[in-house]
Amino acid sequence: MFKSILEAFKNLFKPVRTINYPAQEITLPSGYRGLIEHDHEACIYCDKCEKVCPPGAILFFQKESGDKEYRYNPWLCIYCGECVRACPKPQEALWQSETKQQSGVKEDSANEGWFVWEEACKKSRETYAVAKKTPKSKIKSEEPLCVS
Amino acid sequence: MKKTIQIPLGSQHISLLEPIRFKFECENERIIGVDADVGFVHRGVELACTRSFEFKQVGYVVARVCGLCAITHSLSYTLAVEKLLGYVANDRIKYLRMLMVELDRIHSHMLCLAHTAENAGFEALFMQIMGDRELVMEVQEAISGNRVQFDYISIGGVNRDLTSDLCDLIRKNLTILSEKMEILTGLFDNNWSLSLKYKGVGVLSLEDAYTYNALGPLARASGLATDVRAETSDFPYEALGYTMILESTGDIHARNFVRLREIVNSITMCQNIVDNLPIGEIQEKVKGKPKGEDIIRIEAPRGELFYLVRGNGTNMLERVRIKTPTFSGIPAMMEVFKGSQYADAPAILASFDPCMSCTAK
Ligand code: SF4
Ligand code: SF4
Repeated sequence: MFKSILEAFKNLFKPVRTINYPAQEITLPSGYRGLIEHDHEACIYCDKCEKVCPPGAILFFQKESGDKEYRYNPWLCIYCGECVRACPKPQEALWQSETKQQSGVKEDSANEGWFVWEEACKKSRETYAVAKKTPKSKIKSEEPLCVS
Repeated sequence: MKKTIQIPLGSQHISLLEPIRFKFECENERIIGVDADVGFVHRGVELACTRSFEFKQVGYVVARVCGLCAITHSLSYTLAVEKLLGYVANDRIKYLRMLMVELDRIHSHMLCLAHTAENAGFEALFMQIMGDRELVMEVQEAISGNRVQFDYISIGGVNRDLTSDLCDLIRKNLTILSEKMEILTGLFDNNWSLSLKYKGVGVLSLEDAYTYNALGPLARASGLATDVRAETSDFPYEALGYTMILESTGDIHARNFVRLREIVNSITMCQNIVDNLPIGEIQEKVKGKPKGEDIIRIEAPRGELFYLVRGNGTNMLERVRIKTPTFSGIPAMMEVFKGSQYADAPAILASFDPCMSCTAK
């Protein structure tokens, strides 16, 4: 009993244990799982990352020319790193950075914008599949809105 | 004339971390009947596992059932699927998985101890334990790359390896922690005001523990020798210094002591794991799709966690059933409340370490 009173008294003179965030920076440990980054040049567009991603945070928009466009939702991503492990060219085409994602605000339209993209990507594939079957017919796909 | 009054506790209450509702039938201050409702945070995880996600992704989904024992959930699921695929992990993978589960146990028990102290009116001790708990959280964050959602275990292995820097950090932090645990144990044992709130309060007898199927620290505090770690052979617990911790009185004090001593035991195990880590791959290829049905039991911090996985040879599973420790322990918990004072109810409840988001999932 007296021990804990003494301990409590001593605690009064000990330094503060909490961090004065945001005035003081929090240091992340090295190897922190942060945002996924993609390199357009190195990627072979095999779609493996898109398939393994649990929440579906990576999508590819199929252009009519046959190229694909990489799209990533940093707010949907759970930073599991599964996509990087599935990628045939990890660290070159796709890698996990140590950057922490900032919270989304309304202007980012993290949800609505993404829904539009999801829809557009799905549609682009369908249109492309149809276009491939009937090569001469010209089908125009709509340009989707941007997330950010 | 009716002699009893009904007093509810929850679903929103200052002493509760999570939504649960108890309806106490009280006679003066004494509780004579209890009614519990737990389904406030139902999220439909089980159905999502079979409808929206492929079996390789489900491990990341079930990890979100609970924030505290995320590792235990993903491990149980992964083990069940690996069993169906006929894969047995090598020793390094087993050791690394065990390390994370034991670290998880340490910080979960510390949270419970802190919370019990808080509900007994000892706010300063709550702060102290939560401060010390950071030592473990730091280690877990460094190992897995994230503080809460570890996403460390995947089918066929673990996602990250231990470097020598990490081993040093683990050794350093665990040594500091074991010194702190000694001070804490002394405090829980000798502090007079704490013993007023804990000793002889919320007693679960051995007989009741047996009848109502208590599990985890709740059962062990009553002297019921049940621990999945001792009953299954998925992990080499015996070789790494596991001992079953038993107390006999079955009150809050005993539950605290089971937790305190289990933390010390887990620290020893973690140190042994780091010192004797076998060499091997950390990620192996597992082929095939799950077909058939299998169950797995793992000792989560709160007791036995049970998983049933049924697959039909496709990417989508047929059934994922999760039975969490709190859910199984509810009958025993309700029994403990009967006969105790209403004023003690928050402390008793905290000493069960209930996890509602697990239970309702
Ligand atoms: S880290 Fe995980 S959630 Fe994020 S994009 Fe990769 S696979 Fe998807
Ligand atoms: S897995 Fe890698 S190479 Fe394949 S599409 Fe994704 S980033 Fe490109």
